[in-house]
Amino acid sequence: MNRREFLKYQVKGILWMIAGGSGILLPKKIVAESVPDIAVAKGAPATATRAAVELLGGMKQFVKPGNRVIIKPNMSFPSPPERASNTNPEVVRELAAMCKEAGATRVLVLDHTLGPAELCLDRSGIRKACNSISKKMVFALSDDSLYKTADIPEGKTMRSTEIMKEVLKSDVLIASPVAKSHSGSGVSLSMKGMMGLIYNRGVMHWQYDLHTSIVDLCTVLKADLTVIDGTRVLSTNGPQGPGKVLKKNTVIASKDMVAADSYAVSIFEWYGQKFKPRQVRHIREAHDRGLGRMDVENLKIKVIDI
Amino acid sequence: MITFWRAIQIISLILFLLLLTLAVSSINTPTPLDLFLLFDPALITFTVISARILVAAFIPALVVLLITLFFGRIFCGYICPMGTTLDGGDKLFGPPRKKQSEPVKLRLLKYIILIFLLGASLLGISFVFVVAPISLITRFYGLLVHPVLAFLTNEILILIQPLAEWFNMNNIIFLRITTPRFATQLFVITFFGVLFILTRVSPRFWCRNLCPSGALMALVSKKPLIRRGVSDDCTDCGKCSHSCPMAAIVTEEPRITLHEECIVCRTCQNICPVNAISFNSAKTEHKFEMQEFSFTRRQFIYSGLIGATAATVNLTGLNSLHGKPGPGQVAPQGLIRPPGALPEMDFLAQCVRCGECMAACPTNTLQPIWLDAGFMGLFSPSLTPRRGYCNPECRMCGDVCPTDAIRKLSQNERIWAKTGTAVIFRQKCLAWEHQKSCMVCDEVCPYKAVEFRKEPGNRVPVPLVHEEKCSGCGYCEHFCPVQNQAAIVVTPMGALRMSEGSYIIQGKSQGLNLLIKPKSKYGPQLKGKDWGKGFAPGFEDDKSSVFPPRFEEDS
Repeated sequence: MNRREFLKYQVKGILWMIAGGSGILLPKKIVAESVPDIAVAKGAPATATRAAVELLGGMKQFVKPGNRVIIKPNMSFPSPPERASNTNPEVVRELAAMCKEAGATRVLVLDHTLGPAELCLDRSGIRKACNSISKKMVFALSDDSLYKTADIPEGKTMRSTEIMKEVLKSDVLIASPVAKSHSGSGVSLSMKGMMGLIYNRGVMHWQYDLHTSIVDLCTVLKADLTVIDGTRVLSTNGPQGPGKVLKKNTVIASKDMVAADSYAVSIFEWYGQKFKPRQVRHIREAHDRGLGRMDVENLKIKVIDI
Repeated sequence: MITFWRAIQIISLILFLLLLTLAVSSINTPTPLDLFLLFDPALITFTVISARILVAAFIPALVVLLITLFFGRIFCGYICPMGTTLDGGDKLFGPPRKKQSEPVKLRLLKYIILIFLLGASLLGISFVFVVAPISLITRFYGLLVHPVLAFLTNEILILIQPLAEWFNMNNIIFLRITTPRFATQLFVITFFGVLFILTRVSPRFWCRNLCPSGALMALVSKKPLIRRGVSDDCTDCGKCSHSCPMAAIVTEEPRITLHEECIVCRTCQNICPVNAISFNSAKTEHKFEMQEFSFTRRQFIYSGLIGATAATVNLTGLNSLHGKPGPGQVAPQGLIRPPGALPEMDFLAQCVRCGECMAACPTNTLQPIWLDAGFMGLFSPSLTPRRGYCNPECRMCGDVCPTDAIRKLSQNERIWAKTGTAVIFRQKCLAWEHQKSCMVCDEVCPYKAVEFRKEPGNRVPVPLVHEEKCSGCGYCEHFCPVQNQAAIVVTPMGALRMSEGSYIIQGKSQGLNLLIKPKSKYGPQLKGKDWGKGFAPGFEDDKSSVFPPRFEEDS
């Protein structure tokens, strides 16, 4: 054994000790806290966002020091926050701030906007809100050189698609959609929102079945944390509006995209009616394919008012 | 060494390119971005004659002609970006010349072109766009050089991306320059290719022999106040006549100047070994008659007649528009003029095809057309919704148009400047024909002119266009996921083409309702009748779906 090998053994030993140590500590934590499947906080946008994530154990559960984090809000339309076609800027800002606090080295807020990129970033108010954290955080990517083809092994109809390179390189994906109706997919929440991270979503309309391909997409773009902005809900005429906007002051957080979306479907009114999650086909398909759970009545839900 | 002449030329070219860059970057400033186009004497003169209009914006060209009267063709020598570009091309590609090579008679050609244009424009047809120097050079830089530079810049950005990632420079990592693409590239590249090749025959071949603006200025600079004079020190060495880029000095008689050809570059003055040449108002004129330069009355009448004939032939083409629209009019289906474009005949007479509107168009939807609308419509702008939508909040095309062929509108008026109407091709529509849930046209429509409805026998809601709300902006056609021909297409039907008056008043009086902003802060309050009971697009009927049993057992 030469000196180099000896050192290698030493380092290995230390790593194993650390791993073992953390392994011992981990179960304690889980036993100590009872973490809900769905956390719901009602109040002002920023405080409700923080509270909802805290109910899930705080951002440190999702973001580790040194992580690269992508936050995916809705900012596809050049319309102001009160229209509710884009995510509340305060919700996005708070999430970004929490990621930074948890030690993320790189936090990016990305979307492939439908409207003119600069106008969307401006009028949604999201870039301005996040400028207080970093001026180099919010981007709309529309050039194909920023995307890379990725396979969808579990895809039923869509077997591959071009995904933002930055997303493929990231450690943590946070979905932060606004709760809104969608004339094609019923609702546009965290699952539908993943279409904003790919280059060619047109094919999902004309080549594939929209609902099935949304589920296909979510098998590769599975958010680690979903935070649905229900501060305002675009109840009719989505996704762009203008439509009926409900003031709900609610933020929904979950590790499970399907559960978060299902809960949002069931508690808000859509076109003046109540719906069950299974009435939105992509939610039902996601549940059937084991991506998450839509049977919210069987899940542990914690609601707090602030 | 850079002479005073070259310095001014370069500064002037930079200024021209700067204004063009501002237009291309959609940065609207109080500076007239179209200033150089307004300088072009032929461009303006024939537009005024063929469109029969007089506008204050045409004063700059008059000033240029006045300056020429007193100081000679200094515009050609110092200001014209076409001249500077050709000089640059000459430096790059031209061989060292020994002798002026082309026949002197060729320079009569520019007068023939001038009279040809006059003949046509008297009949109300403007051909000036084919030969006006500033129009051509604007297209060269705006529609050919600009896309190439944009493409190269983007490639460089992609190349340096790893470096930017290393330094964590997000602004560089995600920065991309979209390459604009333009039709009729082939013409611009061929035309300028030929011009650059001709510099090998003689420098400034274009300016000497072809340029109609040069011809117009030559007519007023037969004897300008400040002009070339040769003192008696002259040794008749002939160096000056060999070096003159315009061949304005008679080869056998270096003391004789053809002032109408002189562009006051002062090359002769700098090269003269005995300093015999000066440019001032002192008059020592050497008499010299050159018969072959005179323009006979016959030539004059012939070229004018040919111009008039060409105009007439044009007016009789099948695709050429003639008078007001009506039965028998064959207008191209996809020809959608930019918002605020004048009525077609006025538009064609006033549009000088400089390409400024197309270069400035932020969405690249404005494209020059080939012969779709006859020779009269050559290179005129048309919306191409498949390429880009026309943003109702954008007014760049009208703002940069030098001749007001596209009107300058206020923001409110602009919203009502209807360019056409969208039509749905149900056989191609995903919702109508294939019963796939797609609502992209509604999703993107800024005017909310697309409505989705339940139709009997169709399990998905289908789109319908409300004509009175549709402005023809083309968002729907642009984003329609159906490939090749879209399932929703903008047609010129119902476009508002007015030479004066308010689009809002006109639109309202014919029942249009073009709004892009919601009435209340939270959008219009929907009434029950807007949405049939039990209708929520995209949701499924509860009874039709089967709840998966395996999770029901959990409860």
